[in-house]
Amino acid sequence: MKLTSEQVNDIALESRLLLTEQELAGATRYINNFLDMLDRFKELDLKDVEPFSFAEAIACPLRDDKVIAFADTEAILHESAHVDGSYFKVPRIMEGE
Amino acid sequence: MELYELNLSDAIQGLKDKKFSASELFASCKARIDKLEPEIHAFITRTDSTPPAETSGLLAGIPTVLKDNLCTKGLRTTAASKILGEWRPPYDATAWAKLKEAGAVLMGKVNMDEFAMGNTCGNSAFGPTRNPNDLSRVPGGSSGGSAAAVSAGYVPFSLGSDTGGSIRQPASFCGVYGLKPTYGMVSRYGLISYGSSLDQIGPFARTVKDLQLVMSVISGHDPMDSSSFRDKDHDFTHREDVSVKGKRVALVKEFQSFTLDAPIAEAMAKTRKVLEEEGAEIVEVSLPVVARYAVACYYALAMSEAHTNLERYDGVRLGYTVKDAAGIKEMFERVRSYGFGPEVKSRIIAGTCLTEPTRCEEYYVAATKVRTLIAQEFTRAFGECDFILQPASPSMPWKIGENDEDELKGYEADLYTLPVNLAGLPGLSFFAGYAGNLPVGLQLIGPRWSDPALLDTGVILERHLGSPKIANGGK
Repeated sequence: MKLTSEQVNDIALESRLLLTEQELAGATRYINNFLDMLDRFKELDLKDVEPFSFAEAIACPLRDDKVIAFADTEAILHESAHVDGSYFKVPRIMEGE
Repeated sequence: MELYELNLSDAIQGLKDKKFSASELFASCKARIDKLEPEIHAFITRTDSTPPAETSGLLAGIPTVLKDNLCTKGLRTTAASKILGEWRPPYDATAWAKLKEAGAVLMGKVNMDEFAMGNTCGNSAFGPTRNPNDLSRVPGGSSGGSAAAVSAGYVPFSLGSDTGGSIRQPASFCGVYGLKPTYGMVSRYGLISYGSSLDQIGPFARTVKDLQLVMSVISGHDPMDSSSFRDKDHDFTHREDVSVKGKRVALVKEFQSFTLDAPIAEAMAKTRKVLEEEGAEIVEVSLPVVARYAVACYYALAMSEAHTNLERYDGVRLGYTVKDAAGIKEMFERVRSYGFGPEVKSRIIAGTCLTEPTRCEEYYVAATKVRTLIAQEFTRAFGECDFILQPASPSMPWKIGENDEDELKGYEADLYTLPVNLAGLPGLSFFAGYAGNLPVGLQLIGPRWSDPALLDTGVILERHLGSPKIANGGK
């Protein structure tokens, strides 16, 4: 099923992307061509196929659950333009009030 | 011979024998970069303004460069995107930390397609890199800067990353060797994520022996990356007395009817002959699911993973930001709309589309199942052969700006590389000769964890097919 440019624009907004008219036209063409390519999957019987995982993952446990303090939080905070004390500051989340 | 012309192993030996100093090697590489960089444009950030302090270890005093998606503590890391701005990571990628520990000297961070999305090194916020063998042509991508830097003699080796061919295709376009290791062989900690189940860091060099040296340093388990495997010790020691006698090297039946540029088809025939003369048996394997579905499967998964990985870029904690947004939604939209380039935006939107609840089963989940079939197909194939021989790309490096119109056609050109990432296999891109002034590269694939055996076979191929020359900008 082909997506309209309005539908593609809605998806872009979900991704927090504002597209120009030219970008929207390009993205609509791109996604519809891409979905056509993915329609090939319908030729396969995938009913009893498991989703992929690396088999060796069973022998790959998570690392030891130890808290290790990061030595240089100052370096992390230094990279943000939105810092208040030792916190990141964000604009208001509730809009329209 | 100038010092910048030395391969990695010769440079190590020369330093050890005190034939020259690390400062002299550094100065020679720097002069080489100063001379060619205005035309090649491989760098995003140079760090070679002052000679390095003395280092020790296997790679003591050896200059290198890193793809700019590898985190370097306190040094700008961009992933070739405006959205990361002047970000200076607070930590080193493990692969770089290991090189640094071994004494390597960083000359800078090199160009790539934005967030590793592309195969030309032209989708960069910093402009395109040019192929050192012919400046009118692309170096390949996404690790085009890493391949070009080694090809042009800037440094004897470099690191890149490979999500769907981003080491192997630029290695073949630039005339160097490149290894995409088995998934889990090299820690991904500190690699800026694109498709986390596909990404892998690997080396570029001008000899196979040099790849072995670099792999001996960067491979191994890292507690900071749970996808790097424990209990896997691999021996990357270089040996001259290696043989392919009795090995079965396969050609893929379904690929035989696909069109290749003439020099690549000729290199395939020549390499096949070399292997046969060395005692290998040439066999045929069938990969029908790979041939028809791998491209669609790969892009469905890569875009889905990319859209979640790139959600973190919102202007709050790092990189480009705005200070006058009325609300958080406006801030995110303005930051992301300005910060991401067109290819990245398209892939984020596609990934969002494929993973929406109404489409997830039909596309994303289906792709994860197709990936299982692809991995099973390779497992079956490696029951019938030891290695698979195939191109790294069906095309020779094209002119800059060509093939930019139809993205999906560009994706089809990745058929020879991306199935390797889907199955987590190792792939060696090796030099197979020249067609005029352009190098021709091919690819050898092995089962998971066969990286040392793959490189041993590479040693034999290099012996018969020759080593590449340092490129001089097509002059």
